[in-house]
Amino acid sequence: MTRLSQFLARNWAVLLLLALWQGWVSLADLNSIVLPAPWPVLRDVLSHPALYLANAAQTLATATAGVAIGLGFGALVAVAAWASRLLAGMLTPLGLIFSSVPVVALIPILARLLGYDISTVVAIVAVSAFFPTFVFVGAGLKDLPRGADDLFSVLGASRAARLRHLVLPAAVPNLMIALRITVPEGVLAAILAEFLMGRSGLGFMFREAASRFAMERALGTSLVVTVAAVLCFSLAHRAERVIRTRWS
Amino acid sequence: MPQAIPDAIRLDGVSKSFRLDDGKTVTALEGIDLGLREGEFVAVLGPSGCGKSTVLRLIAGLETASTGAVRIEGRAPSELAAAHRLGVAFQDHALLPWLSVAQNIALPYRVAGSKVDHARVDALIELVGLTGFRDARPSQLSGGMRQRASIARALVLDPDVLLLDEPFGALDAVTRRHMNVELQRIWGTRTLTTLLVTHSVDEAIFLADRIIVMTGRPGRILREVTVPFPRPRDPSVLRTPEFHALVDELTLALDPEEAAL
Repeated sequence: MTRLSQFLARNWAVLLLLALWQGWVSLADLNSIVLPAPWPVLRDVLSHPALYLANAAQTLATATAGVAIGLGFGALVAVAAWASRLLAGMLTPLGLIFSSVPVVALIPILARLLGYDISTVVAIVAVSAFFPTFVFVGAGLKDLPRGADDLFSVLGASRAARLRHLVLPAAVPNLMIALRITVPEGVLAAILAEFLMGRSGLGFMFREAASRFAMERALGTSLVVTVAAVLCFSLAHRAERVIRTRWS
Repeated sequence: MPQAIPDAIRLDGVSKSFRLDDGKTVTALEGIDLGLREGEFVAVLGPSGCGKSTVLRLIAGLETASTGAVRIEGRAPSELAAAHRLGVAFQDHALLPWLSVAQNIALPYRVAGSKVDHARVDALIELVGLTGFRDARPSQLSGGMRQRASIARALVLDPDVLLLDEPFGALDAVTRRHMNVELQRIWGTRTLTTLLVTHSVDEAIFLADRIIVMTGRPGRILREVTVPFPRPRDPSVLRTPEFHALVDELTLALDPEEAAL
């Protein structure tokens, strides 16, 4: 009983949403081409597990690869900006430009440049992950523990030793913040890119289903996307918290 | 004053002024002449804001003198740091929060690019009384334990010069006394030129061979006192009438207004 009430307390908003969805469909007597009810949508997901799983796996793999590349480059460029004032002066405005351009606007340009295939989707995700990483890691590299700067001076630390033993570890919590931010964004960017120009993955699956008015399939895809994004976010969030406790 | 052995650390006619954000300059130190012999323990005593920490930062090479010269063994202080022969314990421990106690104490080895002597790290952990806490992280330690870890880190490379910037400033009186007794014991085990910056008269007298009393604004050396108590000093020294007389004398020196009454 307590378990049930706990479940209700945590998930009442989701349940309410489902109830409203069902209620709306029933009361307005909507055709399933306009909006199917929750149960047929769920049934479509459950009766085609291989199809959904394969596409979800593809989208997640694309998002993961893109986020990894974006995080890697973002961190690398942040370190380069730390190491050289000249580079910092060049890279910071460039990063700002990147950040203010919406992903949607970048997709056609990148698709033109790189071709209409999976590597472009990865590149789009990487671009969306790059800037937050650059900003957060860049801030983390400067956010040193109190007195640590003086400590490394009196220890006679070389610049390389300072980077390795002080500056890089100090930036780890901020890298985790970047991860928490970029993972859901990366999933979103991957789906958006697949939707606009892909040939597989959840985004493509949604577009393909919607174009032939297979609304159960389309909304089933949305459902899987939502679950995947929430899962990714909570994993990244948990990882960030673990690191934060370890680092404070 | 003619001397057979040149001082290990020398400050000659040192002044230091800082430029503030509004363009004004503030003179923190003026006309400082100070020498520390090799293996001598000197305490710099003064009210807060008298520039005593600046004296330490000049010797540590963290600041440069506006006029005059700071020399350690005839060379610039930064050379001593670059040779990894300087140990400093700061007021705010400056332990890295992501490293364990043992890793923090071993940090100077890693920064110097040399192999970590784990036996020595463990020996120092025992020396400062942190056995059983070697794998704890700084956030899990009390203030006194953090300071002890910080002192162990300052000693790990067996430096020639040890600088202590109010390392016990944030501790309560009882813990502070314990730490003083421990530091005296640790210091007795090696020859180490040491400068302690403190505002505690008891601490200065208990630990130092010689005390430099400073006044503030601008920071000047008011007087020098040689501490008469022989080493090793037992904590019972703290209860002798001679000790109390010296405490009273120096307390008055620190507060000239009271002395005038």
